[in-house]
Amino acid sequence: MNGIHDLGGMHGFGPIERETDEPYFHDDWEGRVFGLFFANFAAGHFNVDQFRHGIERMAAAEYLSTSYYEHWLHSFETLLSEKGIVTSEELDRKQAELSQAGGA
Amino acid sequence: MAALTSEIVPGLVAGGASCRMDADVAPKFGVGDKVRAININPIGHTRLPRYIRGKVGTVARDHGVFAFPDTSVSGVHRDPQHVYSVRFEGEELWGADANANSSLYIDMFDNYLESA
Repeated sequence: MNGIHDLGGMHGFGPIERETDEPYFHDDWEGRVFGLFFANFAAGHFNVDQFRHGIERMAAAEYLSTSYYEHWLHSFETLLSEKGIVTSEELDRKQAELSQAGGA
Repeated sequence: MAALTSEIVPGLVAGGASCRMDADVAPKFGVGDKVRAININPIGHTRLPRYIRGKVGTVARDHGVFAFPDTSVSGVHRDPQHVYSVRFEGEELWGADANANSSLYIDMFDNYLESA
């Protein structure tokens, strides 16, 4: 699909930031999202093409304003909801619980 | 339901959930062949970027046989075919605005290519 993910050759995104000694993960949650891919893949919930397609179907503005591993998480939520493994109500409830537990 | 076990994690992480398939499929092209990327605009999944469509490049390497993403997005790996590293010159992709001496190697599935 001709989505926002296919941005090769587009101008206006600024230079690529190069970090010295770049860590695999910039926060603990990113490592958990990385692990979730393999847990879901091994469980047979999706293959890598479905996973990529889940990212490509993100709304354009949301895709551009979220980070790499947020894209992964978005795809998991889309695919697992479509397959009836989780419901959006369950995701909303858990998110509310977590933001309450996290305080501010 | 299958579950992730610690034994299979290293292989999965190293291979990145590879779509390589053990299928005896003949390649349509060989190293050195001139190829043109087809122009398609599917509403579903594809790994053929817009800036490559219609461009002419040269097959640099044959990676072997892999599941075709555009149809494997159905959930089952299918249409096994050769994937090549194809070299496109910067000028072919970006015209006179290209950096001098720039070129791009990109992995292309057999179904994305025709003889040029």
